[in-house]
Amino acid sequence: MGVSVNDVPEYGCTIDELMVVTLSRAFDNTTRAFNGAVSFIPVCAYLLARKTHAPELVWAASSIAVDADPEVIPESTLSDSLWGGASMLANSPFDFWAYAQGRDYNTFAFRGAQIDRFGNVNNTVIGPYDAPKVRLPGGGGMADLSCMIPRIYLWSTTHNPRIFVDKLDFRSGIGFGDGGDHRASLGLPGGPQLCVTNLCVFDFEPESKGMRVVSLHPGVSIDDVRASTGFEIIADGNISMTPAPSAEELHLLRNEVDPTSQRLREFA
Amino acid sequence: MKVRSLEEAAAQVPDGATIAIGGLSMNSTPMAFVRELVRRQVRDLTVVAIVQGMAVDWLVAGGCVSRVVSGLVSFEGLGLAPQFRAAVQRGEVAIEEYSEHTLICALQAETNHLPFMPTLAGLGTDMPALHPETTRIERDESSGITYVACTPLPVDIAVVHAHAADDLGNVRVDPKLLWMDNEIVNAAKTRIATVERIAPRSTFTAEPHRTTYPKFMIDIVAEVPWGAHPSSMFPSYVHDREFFDAYTAASHSGSEAFSEFWTSRVVEPSSHSDYLDANGGARTLLRVKRRTS
Repeated sequence: MGVSVNDVPEYGCTIDELMVVTLSRAFDNTTRAFNGAVSFIPVCAYLLARKTHAPELVWAASSIAVDADPEVIPESTLSDSLWGGASMLANSPFDFWAYAQGRDYNTFAFRGAQIDRFGNVNNTVIGPYDAPKVRLPGGGGMADLSCMIPRIYLWSTTHNPRIFVDKLDFRSGIGFGDGGDHRASLGLPGGPQLCVTNLCVFDFEPESKGMRVVSLHPGVSIDDVRASTGFEIIADGNISMTPAPSAEELHLLRNEVDPTSQRLREFA
Repeated sequence: MKVRSLEEAAAQVPDGATIAIGGLSMNSTPMAFVRELVRRQVRDLTVVAIVQGMAVDWLVAGGCVSRVVSGLVSFEGLGLAPQFRAAVQRGEVAIEEYSEHTLICALQAETNHLPFMPTLAGLGTDMPALHPETTRIERDESSGITYVACTPLPVDIAVVHAHAADDLGNVRVDPKLLWMDNEIVNAAKTRIATVERIAPRSTFTAEPHRTTYPKFMIDIVAEVPWGAHPSSMFPSYVHDREFFDAYTAASHSGSEAFSEFWTSRVVEPSSHSDYLDANGGARTLLRVKRRTS
């Protein structure tokens, strides 16, 4: 596809594969998820989790097609081409938004052009709103679902200080807001659980709600992460190496979940 | 009788109107109608599009738009909507961004003649402060709940694409309504449906449970087979990936290359069937037709 993806020779896989497997292991049989635009990594992760350790996981493709099992993933994760094998096509206004606001769906993953230490995300503009340097697609349902859904997962295929910024140019979606108890004080449930990048995995420190390194991908040092992050990271815990994908996980991802490697679109 | 030609239906849209476009992202969008607006050189539109891509990009490329009211405009895995993005960055088109659910609430407030609809959507983000008059943050004293009050969003004309209509204006979406088209139909003063086919009235009376919009909610229907191309029309056909790729490539190859593509593939063909011919004709239709399993 004309894009280069970093090899992870230690694990006999590539970084996109490690990210998908890592995210999929965060989900379990209680996960009831759906997906928005350009969400190839979490879509692969939901499908992989369902094929491995979480057969009861619920995933609604494009927020519409419950339990879809597409033969291949198309170039849009909001496309109706993603719906093969579904057990229900849920109408958006009456069904989807009710399940989301009712918290019957409990899991949502999103990414952004900028991410801050509290897991807030910008997908609206780079620069001032009224005179943008770059006009981005817009938040879409991110502002909504980041408020409504308790288990939020973030991912970024590029980890650098332009994406992991000290201050967002615009807050399109909320993580832990201003940190501490800010999200809870707004009456919003849960919050970000993990942020999986091409360098490491963050969770969120329980008190400050700041991003904390929990594991490093093979070949990555904590100083690499520091140099690639525009805010001060928390790295005081027990930092491990991100566990290796199993042969079965890699086989399923490559051959059944995403055989045409649409997930690489996120690395363009 | 409510059946009109596509051209007559598009002529209902005056300069300066607020028009809401149905469909979502690459799906179920009334693209033939949008193309007709471009050909008619309609000007100064406010376009309401909850989640869109190519429809907004065409209207911007055609110089039809002064303001976009939307949650998201992109081509997804194929990239940003290029003409929209460039026009906003040049300051030629204003974008009034709302979250998806805030737009639904604003349309419902308009439909229901209510001062606002409340939602938790957008709390703690920068979104409500973009337009404090229409997304007010309030607190309900009895429950203590803080919410965003979304004020009514008036819409002059809604246009949606569906599978079938009869001459009375009953409309069916197969297999059932999936996107948020009902929200714009309910809110708008004039409602237009382009459809894949005009069907006999007995189609609707034989299976009334399959009717999506009743005749009194639809003012005009126009028959336009393949009228969502290059977007998809589930379950009949998929989006035309080759069109999206070629359009995006032309956009990234300079204004001359885009102008050539835009003129020959979108603006110039005088009828919808000429447009389909200019975009591969039967070969394209066979490619996008969904195989029934």
